[in-house]
Amino acid sequence: MNNLADAAAAQTANVEGRTTKIKVRDAHFYYNGFHAIKGIGMDIPEKQVTAIIGPSGCGKSTLLRMFNRIYAIYPKQEATGEIVLDGENILDAGYSMNRLRSKVGMVFQKPVPFPMTIFENVAYGIRHHEKLSKADMIIRVEQALRSAALWDEVKDKLKQNALGLSGGQQQRLCIARAIALKPEVLLLDEPTSALDPIATSRIEQLVAELKSEFTIVIVTHNMQQAARCSDQTAFMYMGEMIEFDQTEKIFTKPGKKQTEDYITGRFG
Amino acid sequence: MSTDKDHIIKSYDSELSRLTGEIVRMGELSVSQLEAAIDVLDRRDERAAQRVVSNDEAIDQMEQEISHDVVRLLALRAPMAGDLRNIFAALRIAADIERIGDYAANVAKRSIPLSMLAPVGPSGGLAYLAELASESVREVLFAYRDRDAERAYKVWKEDVVLDEAYTGYFRQLLTYMMEDPRNITPCTHLLFMAKNIERIGDHATNIAENIWFQVTGEPLDKQRKKGDLTSSPEMTKLGDKPE
Repeated sequence: MNNLADAAAAQTANVEGRTTKIKVRDAHFYYNGFHAIKGIGMDIPEKQVTAIIGPSGCGKSTLLRMFNRIYAIYPKQEATGEIVLDGENILDAGYSMNRLRSKVGMVFQKPVPFPMTIFENVAYGIRHHEKLSKADMIIRVEQALRSAALWDEVKDKLKQNALGLSGGQQQRLCIARAIALKPEVLLLDEPTSALDPIATSRIEQLVAELKSEFTIVIVTHNMQQAARCSDQTAFMYMGEMIEFDQTEKIFTKPGKKQTEDYITGRFG
Repeated sequence: MSTDKDHIIKSYDSELSRLTGEIVRMGELSVSQLEAAIDVLDRRDERAAQRVVSNDEAIDQMEQEISHDVVRLLALRAPMAGDLRNIFAALRIAADIERIGDYAANVAKRSIPLSMLAPVGPSGGLAYLAELASESVREVLFAYRDRDAERAYKVWKEDVVLDEAYTGYFRQLLTYMMEDPRNITPCTHLLFMAKNIERIGDHATNIAENIWFQVTGEPLDKQRKKGDLTSSPEMTKLGDKPE
């Protein structure tokens, strides 16, 4: 792709002086013949929170899933174009899946703790990627739980089953599990849609704290949430990126009528 | 970016149009107050002037209701983008109209002592200023109702006409005062009244700025010619004796 086409295909959120962490160029996605993502280009800045909003079925979760190729576990799914993470196209067949998984962590809508102890939930993933001594592992698990703002609540019950935690705690445990691998990018797919407002606020606060270390991409149905916790927001509709700009601009003065209609509740 | 589609939640639309209606009614009331104030001055009707003064309470009351509605809309609807600007502008415009009402009441209040004094000069000066101010407020209300940024901009630009008329009237009153010190008391009242009316024009321009922001999302930051020169050093030379 030449430079001109490159510039035309990508939308940037007018963030000056930020390094691009993920460069998306002419990304397409097909499953069972359905064209779900139709040529998206965007630059996701490093150590910022980027929110993706849009109505159900617009492709926002699909786009998120392209960032860690989680779709590859299902048959008949195909991604084309480029998703460049730190200079390398992760869609290349040669790109190591193991490496990708250690660089890009993901948290889903419904918290899914493993049916094991709280400690093991966090340690499990680390063991897959690194060989740590017992003492180092204890330190690493504590660090992850502290970063996920869960340590104080679970430090006395690390040997208890994680399924006994509340929904909000389980979700923070999943975040701890993801950040324990020290990823560079954290993908959050509607991380609070199953949580109450208090647990939601805790996760949002956590997102604000984590962005100094990670590049965060969050898909959310809750526009107020995108407004509250993201630096830039992308609005998608029917597999296309309609608008991508600074969050403040999207929610006070969007450039496209479709965006305005969606965020003001006039979509139909 | 404005949009012509209705909200999915229909009651939101009716709440927003009710807000617009309240602002327009409040604005119309403030214009009638100004016209009534000039009318009672002309007729030297003290009791009618008192009525104008006490009617201002209705405008204050309307502002309270609008503030309440705005807080309610912000809390319950969490407005975004154009809706947010719309609601924000309504709050600010209501505050401007409330001030316009205050100025109209002030004019009526001063007409009471003035009616006890002998008339000074031709009576049309103040009425002309009031006519210009009423026209501005009326125009800006139309612009608000129709979300017409260009029409609002025209009101904003033409405030200079009122400013210049005010400067002329100021000069005229100074001359009367120099002619005969007995004119000083009535002319001082008239000066305050003229200033009040000139301020009404300024509030109409504030409203125009808010309409501009509401419609375009941008501040109205163009340069406007200033026509009120009463504070310029030139004016002090008016009373100097020729050497």
